[in-house]
Amino acid sequence: METEELLINMGPVHPSTHGVLRFKLRMDGEIIKECTVVMGYLHRGTEKLAEMKTYLQFIPYTDRLDYISAMPNNYAYVKAVEELAGIEVPLRAEYIRVLTVELNRIVNHLVFMGSLLLDLGASTAIMYGFREREKALQLYEMLCGARMTFSYFRIGGVRDDLPDDFMSKLNEFIKDMEKRIEDYKGLINGNEIFMMRMKGIGVISAEEAINYGMTGPSLRGSGVNYDIRKIEPYSIYPDLDFKACVRPECDSYARYMVRIDEMEESLHILRQIADTIPKSEVVATQKYGIAPLTGMPYTAQTYFPRIFIPPAGEAYSRIEAPKGELGFYVVSDGTTKPYRVKIRSPSFCNLTAIPKMVVGLKIPDLIAAFGTIDVVLGDVDR
Amino acid sequence: MDPVTIDTTKFRPVRKKPETALEKLEDTGLISTVLAARERKGLIFLTTVDQVFNWARLSSLWPVTSGLACCAIEMMAVAMAHHDIARFGMEIFRASPRQADLMFVAGTVTKRMAPRVKQLYEMMPDPKWVISVGSCANTGGPYHESYAVLRGVDNIIPVDVYIPGCPPRPEAWLYGVLQLREKIKNEGYGAKWGLNK
Amino acid sequence: MNAAEELKQALPASVVSTGMQVEKPLVLVKKEDLLEVAAKVKEMGFDHLSVVTGVDYVDRFEVIYNFFSYGKKENLVLKVVLDHEAPEVGSLTSLWKGADWLERETYDLVGVRFTGHPNLTRILLPEGWKGHPLRKDYDMSVEQFVTIGEDGEDIVSTDGSNLLRRK
Repeated sequence: METEELLINMGPVHPSTHGVLRFKLRMDGEIIKECTVVMGYLHRGTEKLAEMKTYLQFIPYTDRLDYISAMPNNYAYVKAVEELAGIEVPLRAEYIRVLTVELNRIVNHLVFMGSLLLDLGASTAIMYGFREREKALQLYEMLCGARMTFSYFRIGGVRDDLPDDFMSKLNEFIKDMEKRIEDYKGLINGNEIFMMRMKGIGVISAEEAINYGMTGPSLRGSGVNYDIRKIEPYSIYPDLDFKACVRPECDSYARYMVRIDEMEESLHILRQIADTIPKSEVVATQKYGIAPLTGMPYTAQTYFPRIFIPPAGEAYSRIEAPKGELGFYVVSDGTTKPYRVKIRSPSFCNLTAIPKMVVGLKIPDLIAAFGTIDVVLGDVDR
Repeated sequence: MDPVTIDTTKFRPVRKKPETALEKLEDTGLISTVLAARERKGLIFLTTVDQVFNWARLSSLWPVTSGLACCAIEMMAVAMAHHDIARFGMEIFRASPRQADLMFVAGTVTKRMAPRVKQLYEMMPDPKWVISVGSCANTGGPYHESYAVLRGVDNIIPVDVYIPGCPPRPEAWLYGVLQLREKIKNEGYGAKWGLNK
Repeated sequence: MNAAEELKQALPASVVSTGMQVEKPLVLVKKEDLLEVAAKVKEMGFDHLSVVTGVDYVDRFEVIYNFFSYGKKENLVLKVVLDHEAPEVGSLTSLWKGADWLERETYDLVGVRFTGHPNLTRILLPEGWKGHPLRKDYDMSVEQFVTIGEDGEDIVSTDGSNLLRRK
């Protein structure tokens, strides 16, 4: 039979591409023969802007990379600068940092779960996901007044101490969340339609996933026990009891399950932090660089100088963000502004594997496989 | 057949609590020149065509789903249960611009996205309105120095309401929507002749 | 003995110097021998190419590769120095498929050419964009606009009259 290949364009404005991404698909009937990813519709020139801003001024821009989980972005950047300058962070600040990052991991996975199921055609989960997200965002508002773009971290610590009743509110949230995760599991995990859409879709083997540079939950869904919090421990993670969630099936369902399991692990970490958080300063007490010439007396918030000069050098530092390995490569030339900031974003590197994953599938399967990679376009295009 | 005459002296001078459907409609202020001949068995509406159209339009705006960046997540939050934009008759986010009459420009408009946003706007049928959400869409915001970002979406399409914030809170978002409803209420010839009071 | 010294022992002719980059062993490699060294690096168990960074130092370019080994849990940093006039270096796509987009991005924003790359085109900016933004001599004053051509691809020009509204 004579057949003809069809070129289909998906995006950049498409409800299920999680932002502005474009797929060019070469189709044979309903089967995808070749998938080309066209990106850059949200390229905002963040790396160039970093060269024009001081070290402190760049922190708000890191919020807007992966805007669903901004705290890990803040953290990766300040961690890179701290490594570069050799700054010690007070213990309480480290606890607060891990607390906010793990809370953000839950928020990220809630949004992931909701938007994935919305893409698949089930609109209940996103209502649930965003309901719980609002509760977490209220906690963030107590911390720093912002809902999404926090700018809460400072080089050498965090901006402000926890408010008085934060811990009680956090405990309420944890108690509530435990029940909710059980609800999600009951609602989604065994659902037959969901299983048919997810099982055996978007399969990528462990070797290939490593070769493509996939990281984070997407890689752990391929059975690679790789979690930067475990293998290259930073901050207070060595003292905490948690496990890296791994699934061996290599398909979309495994990647989804890893994230649901991770929410429970993050809750477990939050519970430990709520029990053991110590009392100390939250901003580094070690003076560094030039003091601000404001004439104002130092308070806890302005203790760390606004104009700050790290020694010349370069450092690459990475953390386990909710989407994978998030790294910042910071080059300093000994002035107040970074010479070069390179952002290694997890979404960008995980997306590399999509053209490989979807060959031979149908378009609805592309949506399912793409949804479980959990991509945010601000993070891809920067 | 006698012409209908309305005795204006029979109108009640003091407003009471609206009870009937007609009174409730009158009470919204949307159709403000409704006159009722209460002595007769039927009811007669007197209004301008514009006002009826405006009322219908503003009560059921259908936005197009075109999230660009961070603000799109707040757009989802506005549409979800907690803030619930359905209260304003606009929970139907359309994926196709041809079925929509409102566009939220929610996020950074980059140089590369700008012609697509313009195309999307041109594909929407008239009448159409645009709400520019967030600093990036208003002026370029934190990215106004960047080589790849358009400094304000009003450079390419006309904007009705600007909502500041980075990203705006859902409450601010809803306030912007209310402002747009006010604006639509006062559109058309009826408004020009002072009949919207 | 860390990975950098191990590499120097194995390939003494290709390695210029070794050092440390904040607790990560760093190897400066001759640019001609990068592919050979990279193959050795992969053989040593560094299976994860974390990031490719290009830096413009006005008189030279540096391209930095950060590797990680899942098995040994070690880091390794490779660095090559390229001359500023014609920055060219071999592509690592044959060894790590993840290098594909990372190298395209470096080409797009920094302007380093990777020889042997299967599809070295711009990735974040549209094809036809003038200049590489992360170079220090990039002219920010020239504003470039994008319009859509008939086939749906981007056309870059400095003339925005088709796009911009007359106010």
